[in-house]
Amino acid sequence: MKRVVLGALAVTVLVAGCSAGSTPQLPSIPPPSSSSAPSSSAPPPRSDCDDNIHESRVRSYAPGSPLPHGDRAGQTLARIRNSGKIKVGVSADNLLFGYRNPITGQLEGFDIDVVNQIAKEIFGSTTGHIEYVVENFAQRIPDLQSGRVDLVADIMTINCPRWAQIAFSSEYFQAGQQVLVRMNAPYQKIEDLNRAKAKVCTAQGSTGSENLKKYAQIRPALVDNISDCMVLFQQGSVDGIISDNTVVAGFHAQDPYARIAGPQITDEPYGLGIPAKNVDFVQYINGLLQKWRENGFLRDTYAKWLPPPVASPPPAVYGRALPS
Amino acid sequence: MAVTAPPSTSAPGGPTAPGGAAGPGAPAGQPPAEPPRPPHTWQVLTRATRAWFEGTPGRLRVAGIATVLACLLFGVFAFVAASTRAGALADARADATQLVRVQTIHTNLVSADANLTNAFLVGGLEPPAARTAYQDGIATAAKTLADASGNNTSDAATLAEVNDVVTQYTGLVESARANNRLGYPLGAAYLREATNLLRSDALPQLETLGRSVQDRIDHAYSASADAAAWLVAGLLVALVVLIVAQVWLAGRTRRLFNLPLVAATAIVLVVGIVLAGVMWWAQDKAKNTRSDAYFSTLALTTARADAFDAKSSESLTLIARGQGQPYEQRFQNEADNAQAILARASGGGNDDIAAAAKAFQDYRTVHKQIRAKDDAGDWDAAVALATGSGPDTANAAFQKFNDASGQALQHTSTQLRRDLDDAHGPLPVFAWIALVAGIAAAVAAGWGISVRMREYR
Repeated sequence: MKRVVLGALAVTVLVAGCSAGSTPQLPSIPPPSSSSAPSSSAPPPRSDCDDNIHESRVRSYAPGSPLPHGDRAGQTLARIRNSGKIKVGVSADNLLFGYRNPITGQLEGFDIDVVNQIAKEIFGSTTGHIEYVVENFAQRIPDLQSGRVDLVADIMTINCPRWAQIAFSSEYFQAGQQVLVRMNAPYQKIEDLNRAKAKVCTAQGSTGSENLKKYAQIRPALVDNISDCMVLFQQGSVDGIISDNTVVAGFHAQDPYARIAGPQITDEPYGLGIPAKNVDFVQYINGLLQKWRENGFLRDTYAKWLPPPVASPPPAVYGRALPS
Repeated sequence: MAVTAPPSTSAPGGPTAPGGAAGPGAPAGQPPAEPPRPPHTWQVLTRATRAWFEGTPGRLRVAGIATVLACLLFGVFAFVAASTRAGALADARADATQLVRVQTIHTNLVSADANLTNAFLVGGLEPPAARTAYQDGIATAAKTLADASGNNTSDAATLAEVNDVVTQYTGLVESARANNRLGYPLGAAYLREATNLLRSDALPQLETLGRSVQDRIDHAYSASADAAAWLVAGLLVALVVLIVAQVWLAGRTRRLFNLPLVAATAIVLVVGIVLAGVMWWAQDKAKNTRSDAYFSTLALTTARADAFDAKSSESLTLIARGQGQPYEQRFQNEADNAQAILARASGGGNDDIAAAAKAFQDYRTVHKQIRAKDDAGDWDAAVALATGSGPDTANAAFQKFNDASGQALQHTSTQLRRDLDDAHGPLPVFAWIALVAGIAAAVAAGWGISVRMREYR
């Protein structure tokens, strides 16, 4: 009870601090006297996680909320700041969100802008302070678990199986899966592809590969990199691609002979991936996201990269139970 | 020859010519009513044959036939020996040239790929030099593919497959390029696809083909070595027969020498020894070439292919940006291979190869700097070092290796062809000389025996 109040207070302090100054200082929270303190009231921090309940799966750690026993607020941040570099896992083939611009050779996109802004907050500038690690989808979780990266900003869907392995920031974008087919194909929605026993491509280790399992007739084609799907698609080896609408929109922009078939079939809330043990860093990032929701940075970045109408950033949900 | 009508000492005398049984010399007085049982042709023949070989003239005839046949046998066997060796060495030369072609295809494909990936890493408009180098590599590979399949039909099937893959590869590369030009990141996926296709469906096939051509060269070498047996057999048989005949003749006729037979023996002996010498020289030359020019050529082509592959891997490591460990591992394996091969090949005191080995080591030093920068998180500096064209860049260092090893390869492969040409050169002529000599010896031997036969008339 006392902790919850303290946490809520800390949020207010943090938000106030953020909007006031440019370098956020996390208030240091006294470590809880007992690691297994009961928590029972208002927003109940649930130890279980239910993918069918949106609030349950996107629930993250509130800025300034209690930390696991022995952790100090800002200790991960201090380590990153001392090293002078933040190591970030991104994708390089996802137009709009994270891609290597072939003309400049530089990484660009929504997620890259978010990473740049994080670096600016931590170091005061971006140049030389970001070490990009270009990953395919399946590499993201292992790299977070091994500490190869401090953060993954790569259209990563928040879900319960992943919460068991890593931590997420609060939701910063709401996506959903869609299917890309050829312009003249007779498919209007994914069920049509299922009925026609079509061959549908997606990336290994992506939520798309999980979703495909629900369509028994579809013949899945799994590749390492989601953009390999587009090569197969353009060569006629597969009939469709299933992935997040963010990815599919990027493919569509690169191939006017493709068509997006049907509405979003899933709910894919995006969060920034962070190693499970760095709860303090999750709190710090959530503080930044909260600030960007309020100062319009997130919305501006939506407008910069995504076609209109520009959606509103989803609200943050806090109160996740600390990892045991 | 004048051996058809010997004085017949034997009784049943008879028709001399085959088929002369019902000759015109049939006794006139006999009535045809009771024709004498006409002897079977074969009976007549065996009787005649037996008569022909009876007594001293018969033995002389045996000696004559034996010596003539022995000399002819020498001529034919010597001819077979020399032309087999000539053929085997011609095969070895053709296959060595084919091997160089196969390796040229391999090297040009990986060099095109290395230029391509490096150009991709630069971003934006690819440097014209890299584009030209890519196109040259593909053009040389395509031309050499056509040459190679035209020169050996048994290789043509594999080469056609490789050709097919190269066509697909260039198609994917052009798709990558078109997407790059539009600013689409999809180009990267096409590039990855192209590079992977080359490595899965063309290079292993070329390696297998290269090994089978090497096997053919080994086979040609052993066929060439085996050819000596024909000469040895022909020479031994001819000499033994001639000597035995002369010893026997000397005992019979109390004349120590039969000059024509001596001449025949001399011809066989001299031509046999000369031919043996020429054949030994050819084989020795071919053998030396094998441990020298052939070995160096093989080493250089393999090392160059590995080195270009390593250069590709260097670019791919940087393109993968943080996930390039498998490519770096591949770089290390390929570079180690290239370096080991070059070290072994330059052990023979070949300065060209030693220079190439040194240049490759220098390139690896630059590669180490690239890795150090990238591993320290300075990707941009690593890329600048890997793609720049200044004096201390990876491209400059690699170009030095390319020049040195290319020049060395030019030398050794020319040397290889020239050596095998030289080794092959005199053999066909000597094969014909040996055949003619065999016939001449046979004539001499026959004449020598017929002189003795005449004494029996």
